[in-house]
Amino acid sequence: MNQLYQMSSSKLVQSAKFLPRLLALTLTLSIISFTSFSQNINVTGKVVDSNGDELPGVTVQVKGTSNGVSTDLSGNYSLSSVPSAGTIVYSFVGMTSQEIAVQSRSNINVTLANDEQLLEEVVVIGYGTVKKKDATGAVAAIGEKDFNKGVITSSEQLMQGRVAGVAITQSSGEPGGGINVRIRGTSSVRAGNGPLFVVDGVPLSGGDITGGGSNGGLGSSSARNPLNFLNPNDIASIDILKDASATAIYGSRGANGVVLITTKKGKQGKGSMDYTFSVGTSQITKKFDLLSASEFVAAGGPNNGGTTDWQDEVLRTAITTQHNLSFGGGSNGDSYRFSAGILDQDGIINNSGIKRYSASFNGNKKVINDRLNIGTQLNLANTVDAGVPVTDNSGFSGDLLAAMLKSNPTNSVRNSDGTFNQVSTVEPNPAAIIAYSKDNTNTIRALGNINAELQIVDGLKFKTVVGFDRSISSRKAAFSPLLKAAQIENVGQVYFTDIETNNSLWENYFTYDKEFGNVSFNGLAGYSYQRFEYFAKSSNATNFRVDDLDLMVNNVSAADNSKGFGSIINGSNSNVDELQSYFGRINLGFSSKYLLTATVRADGSTRFGSGNKYGVFPSFAGKWRLIEEDFVPKNVFSDLGLRLGYGITGNQELPHNLYQERRRYGSAGINNSSSINNGGFGTVAFANPGLKWESTTQFNAGLDFGFAGGRLSGSLDYYYKNTNDLLFQVFSAQPAPSPFVWRNLDADVINRGLEISLNAIVVDANDFEFEINANAAFNKNVVENLLGVYDTGAINGQGLTGAFAQRIASGQPLFAYFLREFGGYDEAGNSIYPNGDFQQFLDGASPNPTVTGGLTTNFKYKSLTLSAFFNGVFGNYLYSNNANAFFTKGSFSNGRNVTREVVGSSEGPLNAPDVSTRFLEKGDFVRLANLNLGYTVNTGKTDAISSLRFFLTGQNLALFTNYSGQDPEVNTNKQINGIPSFGIDYTAYPRARTWTLGANISF
Amino acid sequence: MKNLKRISTIALSCFVVSALVSSCTDLIVEEKDSLVVQNSGGGFVAGDAGALLEGIYNGLSFYTDQGNTYSLNQHPSAEMIPPTRGVDWGDNGVWRTLHGHTWDATHTQVLNSWNALNGRSFTCEQILASNPSSSQAAEARALRSMFMAQIMDFWGQVPRRTVDQGVDDLPNVLSRSEAFDFIVSNLEEALPELQPGAPATINSTMTQSAVHALLARLYLNKAVYKSTSPAGPYTFDNADMAQVVAHADAVTAAGFGLDADFFNPFTDQESPERILTTEANGVPRNRWMMTMHYDQGGFPAERDGPWNGFTTLADFYDTFEADDLRRFKDVGSNEGYGGLNKGFLIGQQYREDGSEIVDSRSLKPLQFSRDIPLAGAATEKGIRVIKYHPTDNGIYILLRYSDVYLMKAEALLRSGDNGAALTMINNLRTLRNATALSSLSEDAMFAERGRELYWEAIARTDEIRFGKFNVQYQDVTNTEAYTVLFPIPSIAIASNTNLSQNEGY
Repeated sequence: MNQLYQMSSSKLVQSAKFLPRLLALTLTLSIISFTSFSQNINVTGKVVDSNGDELPGVTVQVKGTSNGVSTDLSGNYSLSSVPSAGTIVYSFVGMTSQEIAVQSRSNINVTLANDEQLLEEVVVIGYGTVKKKDATGAVAAIGEKDFNKGVITSSEQLMQGRVAGVAITQSSGEPGGGINVRIRGTSSVRAGNGPLFVVDGVPLSGGDITGGGSNGGLGSSSARNPLNFLNPNDIASIDILKDASATAIYGSRGANGVVLITTKKGKQGKGSMDYTFSVGTSQITKKFDLLSASEFVAAGGPNNGGTTDWQDEVLRTAITTQHNLSFGGGSNGDSYRFSAGILDQDGIINNSGIKRYSASFNGNKKVINDRLNIGTQLNLANTVDAGVPVTDNSGFSGDLLAAMLKSNPTNSVRNSDGTFNQVSTVEPNPAAIIAYSKDNTNTIRALGNINAELQIVDGLKFKTVVGFDRSISSRKAAFSPLLKAAQIENVGQVYFTDIETNNSLWENYFTYDKEFGNVSFNGLAGYSYQRFEYFAKSSNATNFRVDDLDLMVNNVSAADNSKGFGSIINGSNSNVDELQSYFGRINLGFSSKYLLTATVRADGSTRFGSGNKYGVFPSFAGKWRLIEEDFVPKNVFSDLGLRLGYGITGNQELPHNLYQERRRYGSAGINNSSSINNGGFGTVAFANPGLKWESTTQFNAGLDFGFAGGRLSGSLDYYYKNTNDLLFQVFSAQPAPSPFVWRNLDADVINRGLEISLNAIVVDANDFEFEINANAAFNKNVVENLLGVYDTGAINGQGLTGAFAQRIASGQPLFAYFLREFGGYDEAGNSIYPNGDFQQFLDGASPNPTVTGGLTTNFKYKSLTLSAFFNGVFGNYLYSNNANAFFTKGSFSNGRNVTREVVGSSEGPLNAPDVSTRFLEKGDFVRLANLNLGYTVNTGKTDAISSLRFFLTGQNLALFTNYSGQDPEVNTNKQINGIPSFGIDYTAYPRARTWTLGANISF
Repeated sequence: MKNLKRISTIALSCFVVSALVSSCTDLIVEEKDSLVVQNSGGGFVAGDAGALLEGIYNGLSFYTDQGNTYSLNQHPSAEMIPPTRGVDWGDNGVWRTLHGHTWDATHTQVLNSWNALNGRSFTCEQILASNPSSSQAAEARALRSMFMAQIMDFWGQVPRRTVDQGVDDLPNVLSRSEAFDFIVSNLEEALPELQPGAPATINSTMTQSAVHALLARLYLNKAVYKSTSPAGPYTFDNADMAQVVAHADAVTAAGFGLDADFFNPFTDQESPERILTTEANGVPRNRWMMTMHYDQGGFPAERDGPWNGFTTLADFYDTFEADDLRRFKDVGSNEGYGGLNKGFLIGQQYREDGSEIVDSRSLKPLQFSRDIPLAGAATEKGIRVIKYHPTDNGIYILLRYSDVYLMKAEALLRSGDNGAALTMINNLRTLRNATALSSLSEDAMFAERGRELYWEAIARTDEIRFGKFNVQYQDVTNTEAYTVLFPIPSIAIASNTNLSQNEGY
């Protein structure tokens, strides 16, 4: 502009007589310069990769506009209308995008480099990391972007449905309730089937840290999920080791898979501060189809004059708020991150919920010329659970949920004088149960480690880790004497359960990395020692002289201790277990084409007697990177690899010290007549000195593939797992010190199956991206060579004492259903059993799913992101203990409320509801589990805010299933004699649909 | 610089190695909440005989349960029936099969009883191997015999594990005849070292009187136990009958006698009848809860309502004369329990204030009926029986003098002394306000035992001895002879190859 002005002015000065020509020239020039200076040049160029090869299909776009083209087959492009002071963005799948300032150049050539993140994605395996392409075992890594969003109480919920072969079942909808994780099917019979969780290198003990316990006559409830302490917001990635070659490095506890959780570190650079706030509302997904007061009377039920919807009295719309604050930074390899979080999640049943206050710190520093890297991760959390008496095994009078289902809708909630309308102890009033009970569990847990890694010489490193995991939990439950319920009316009950755990870890290992020509060598040798200390004490007080819940807990001397009234009894127990291991691993790579891994771990445990303390767990695996071979067409495949692995892993999850004969005083109890059953001196268990490790042999074959330049990639795995020497509690040959004895059974539990995972980048355009992730797993489970049969799946309800629904036997899958076959009703309304009035197997019908899968679709349009996640389970059957106990004509004729379908059925009122296929249903379902909409605000101008993002998440929005119960993802604990059950639905806390709105701001 | 580097490297390595070496542990942990008794060479290590013995006595309260051994002794007999009332008491058919004699080897109560009795028998073995004093050893022998006697009575085979047998050893099995000899010889061996015993409110230890009572019962049933065919016919040896009389006389000599008030022994008042009872924790609450109707409750200290389960059969009720004191006793007014009388409850039931009780489910006055179907019974069906009453604070009785008295009378009858037996029976009947009999037959003897000892867990043994067990009545569908023995639980058969299943199962 200035130039023109100078030009024109000089021209003006020089010759006034050329004014018309000058004017014309000026005008022309100004027009030209106007168009060129107001953002208009053509830019051409060529895009190549780091090898110099042309890159067709690269998106070349003017930043902030939709003006863009793609490079042609020779990598050339020509972009018009480019502002000369603008920026051009070059992007291509699998490559790091580049933004280049035009600076008035008309020819810009660009070299794009491979995106290190994607192709050399790093996976955490035990004691180290490996590039995903070099992993010889079946491992899956999910990062923060793959996590489920919304109200997430514990870490397992983050990965639900995201990884093939990992089946996660929430036992119920209770906030903080138990979660069942199964990797590649169920291998062990008794409890202890969950995978090993390792947080920042510290393996967790896996035991319960909170006391579940008694709720008087309302049944007993399970302990809370021990992983609730970890704030999911602090988790950077979760890596799951599925097959033996990957888990063998954890030997003794790797039989059921290993889940490695890595917490977030500070980002390099000047650092950032993040604050996230969200608020969500939850409501029940589907209410039970119970009769209303008028329908109840019309069907013939007793009319007590009121109109009550008991579900409305018990349920509510619950609000959950979360605050998460973190700040951190780093430079030159040092980093630090501090975070704090508050979760306040209300449950949809009145008075229930969980609060968590957590803080964490993750830092490291390199010293001595960067040879010594010292770091620490600390996680501290205080969780407060407010529970309600929703139990697993209430009898015919039921728990809170049973009372909600069966209470007469014509009963009013309160009497005219304001007191609760409590009809009898057999039919407790659900609103009274909530008002007259209180159950709080307060837990503090600290998990952390200090580690130091020293580089001794080139390639040789030594790392030592000192870890700790301490928790203290206290449950205080009170039931007022004003509550008319079994074992509580007139006397009241208070339960205290305190559990302290103290686990420590010390690990030392050497790693050696070296390249010898074409051969890359990575070796690991180490030692690990872990110590688990546990102490629990419990008290039960009854016969109270007060009825206020707080006084009962805080002035427990109000329990009448005079003669004839059994009042306060105590019990306690404590044990220590140790685990000592030596492990080693060798990774060999030949020209990056052939990779071999060999691992061995020797574990010694105090759970077994001398002679059997140590178990040795080896594994071998190999990967053939076919993509590096010449005969594989690189224009078809972007990645191709074949993996084979074989290994032996172990399981030692059984109670403490069953190999020595031990004696102690048994627990005292207050019986129904308020007298104390004194604990007698007796044997703890029938000692079996020959007890040894349970071992699982696993074979895995996998194929990793990628097509179309990485736009379609995935893997396929076939596995075969055989668990032998099953640790099992069998019946002793009487007479014996105890009716049961733990033995290693020479039976086999076989799981075999197929896992598929696919990732497709369907559209990758300028403003719009569409990506699909899908995974599916097929599993078949069978028990072989088992002598004898073992019953499980206790069914509770009126007239169902001793009833059970599942049986473990040879030739059947685990937890196979064992039921009478129901064939309708006869004229009198009694059930007909065409195949006989006795229980039998049903062609392998079992609660184990045949297929589990998940589907995620991610859309991105400019600043908007939308992701939808579906998960599905197929092939399993569920047994509704709810229907068996409550939804029968007999129950209705006893004056209880039932569902609408019971009224019209031809069942007679005196028909005994024996355990049969009448209550067995298919549990197939597809759920829209997670829907997340995000909007990133453009904060380009402001320096202070680096990003601002709003999000809306819906959880459990839609469910497609034929199951008539509240939710098909259910698993109530119905164990018999320590043998767990699966897939039984009994008064489970209902599921909620949650909408969460939140914002995340980074500074 | 290089030297410093090398030195620091070596120093660090040394530190590392020493750390590794010092960290190895022998993986033996100290037990903090229990006493380890196994010594390094294997084998049994003595426990505390006194504590173990105390545990057994404390655990005798398991006999108050309405299931387990009580149900096995009562429901197969004609004294008691456990009906299924709609959905209530269905319980997978466990009760119905006991009445109908159609049980099989997977029956829950059979398994529970097997475990309960055998477990206690083994604890006695442990006591005997734990350096007991002579009196402790005698008590343990007596208890072991008592438990084994019940096992022999139910199953006809008795397994025995010695304390040095471990997890992989299979217990030996005694046949019925061998078991009988073992049991009796142990009782006789224990006799001299025990306390004599005398009537008391609580008699919860084994005394000579208790052993005499057990021996009387064993000799009376010896013909059954020694018979080659378990269902009979039985030939009763006069020498055995003489033994019964002798042991019965020994009990009488210790001071026990008949109580003039039939229901008095079941209270907490003094009575000459109680030979062996549970400890104070043996509250017989289950005995009234199992039979009372849901709406008969409402006691201040109770936590839940009664269970409305078992009743008796009309035919059994009819064996009583109308004025027999054992049939009915009006208790007058009792705070909170008035209206609940003792004996057999039939017809309209009343509350303490005299008002009629109304069935809260049918909304009709609560009247216990004579008829009682096995399945599909309405809630008010069946005649109820109250022997232990909620207000009485009684302790559960395991052995009673009336039983011993009647055993002596039966022994006299079977050995031919009809006159003496008749005198004894008429003495009892006079006490109980029943008319005297003119002659005594076996059937009359059986009926008298039933009238005196109803619902006291002895009915099955009596029916088998008198040959009345395999008779069709009500809903008894299986009258085969083999049912006089219960099946060994299938789980037990699988656990011990020395056991062979009883015939017929």
